[in-house]
Amino acid sequence: MFKILRGVSGERTFRGATISVLAVLALFIIAIIVSMLAYTKWDAFVSALFSEEILFAIRLSVTTATIAAVISILIAIPVAYAISRTDFPGKDIVDSLLDLPIVISPIALGAALLVFFNTPAGAAIDDNVVKFVFAVPGIVLAQITVVTALAVRLLKSTFDSIDPRYEQVARTLGCSKLEAFFRVTLPLAKEGLIASGILTWARAVGEFGATVTLAGATAMKTETLPTAIFLSLASADVEKAIAVIFVLVIIAIVALLAIRKIIGRRYQI
Amino acid sequence: MIEIKSLSISLGEFHLEDINLSIYDGEYFVILGPTGAGKSVLLECIAGLHRIKQGRIWSDQNEITHLTPEERKIGYVPQDYVLFPFLNVVDNIAFGLGQAKGAKAKIQERVKTLANLMGISHLLYRNTRSLSGGEKQRVALARALAPSPRILLLDEPLSALDLRTSKSLRNELLRVHREMGVTTIHITHDLMEAVEMADRVAVIQNGRVEQVSEPERVLFYPENEGVSDFIGAPNILDCDYCHSLGQGVMEAGCGGLKLVVPHEGNSFQKVAILPRHIYVSETKPPGLGVNCFKGTITTIKVARNTVRIGIEAGGNNLVAEVPRYIFEEMDLAAGKEVFLILRMRRMRVYEGNSL
Repeated sequence: MFKILRGVSGERTFRGATISVLAVLALFIIAIIVSMLAYTKWDAFVSALFSEEILFAIRLSVTTATIAAVISILIAIPVAYAISRTDFPGKDIVDSLLDLPIVISPIALGAALLVFFNTPAGAAIDDNVVKFVFAVPGIVLAQITVVTALAVRLLKSTFDSIDPRYEQVARTLGCSKLEAFFRVTLPLAKEGLIASGILTWARAVGEFGATVTLAGATAMKTETLPTAIFLSLASADVEKAIAVIFVLVIIAIVALLAIRKIIGRRYQI
Repeated sequence: MIEIKSLSISLGEFHLEDINLSIYDGEYFVILGPTGAGKSVLLECIAGLHRIKQGRIWSDQNEITHLTPEERKIGYVPQDYVLFPFLNVVDNIAFGLGQAKGAKAKIQERVKTLANLMGISHLLYRNTRSLSGGEKQRVALARALAPSPRILLLDEPLSALDLRTSKSLRNELLRVHREMGVTTIHITHDLMEAVEMADRVAVIQNGRVEQVSEPERVLFYPENEGVSDFIGAPNILDCDYCHSLGQGVMEAGCGGLKLVVPHEGNSFQKVAILPRHIYVSETKPPGLGVNCFKGTITTIKVARNTVRIGIEAGGNNLVAEVPRYIFEEMDLAAGKEVFLILRMRRMRVYEGNSL
């Protein structure tokens, strides 16, 4: 079988085959969008989009995702740096452990958080410090739990790509370790930091499973954009669902374009 | 003065074994050795980039073995310069001068002085990515010198440059060294670079220091076979007499050979030339015939890519090395008469009296 595809004709067949699959995938995505456009009744769409509920969901999603992304990046910077630059026993295990939240279903993470807040320690925090369960801080916590792993992964590859010798030279020029990190490594990581921040934020906006499990799906209270889709579909309000879907699609496109615009190329995940 | 005592370190495929070296103040010290000998590791140990578990390093009677790089007052120029890409040339040079706000005028003054010294004043506001290799090297040098280090460490500073840039930078390095008087440790795998630049040379092989001496001594008196092999086992000719021909050229009689040698200054006792700098020809080469002699082949040793030919000429036993593909085009055999040319510019002389 592999022998038949030798030579120029084989090359052409191979290229044709891969491009065909690409075309099918692109058509699939286009078809989804077109079918949505065709289905939409535009006046209902506009009124749904500017309804108080959807505007609330947009505001809540943007606010919580921004807080979650900032906190995640601040946590991920030292963690990613440590994994990238230092060797310690059990590093491989820790490294794999940090990937768990990427692989595990978000709803499982949310459920695990919910269980934690039912333990005495968790309940004490929930009652006396910050109310997480079925409350807005729960949204932020759920998003952080899911997206920090992604932020760590993205930043680790950024730090991996920075030659440690920049820091070494900085140190021979009189910088302490900390100073070298702030004066050399962070500026070198600038593009990666921006791209990781935007991707982390976009992922937090789209987070649903953990959020709904920990913070619940109360309209006008813990209703983020994905939760709004869920609630609209549950009450068979398709126009509203489509309006929210469009908002999410636009946010995703803007985020990807912003990365391209800021760092001048596609960011490799 | 830098003193290294019993330094041993093992880093993956590189290792250093019981290194002992003393480098004097103001010296231009060259560490010479083949690729993978551990030269860079040694330099990095002096810079403080590796944790040292065995051995000690002193700088002016202060032990610096366990000091961090920023505490050592060294200037370090790594092999591929490692300029900060997010800073322009000025900010690269000023990087080590601190960020104190009051001292701004002083910093500018210092950057200007160094840029003038390195001949890069016209590049100050350029992006480092747009610089040529030689320009990058000059910026890296200015950056390392800016905080007035006590020692300057140069890791193969000329090897990434084209031949012409490398030659001109060679002189510039020596000039800067003279003007700033900073103790310099320069590592290279290029014998001629070491011989032409060094006050003293340390030959290092397989992580060991094999010889430390004046550069001529390395050529004329390699201390063991390893060194001799690495530098290419030069032919050493004893001179019976020598006198000046003017214009920086001297004539020397070595047995039956009358050599014309570029040399200014005192008379000399010995002449060295590497086997690869002797040409062999079956027919009499055209031209003036300077340093061209007739000889008889005594031995032929075929190696993988080169052939070493032993030739008796004027009472001297010389070894010439020719690439194998050239050897195969010629019809050479022991006992055959050939012509040989000793490349004039490649000869080195030894003025010392004895030993």
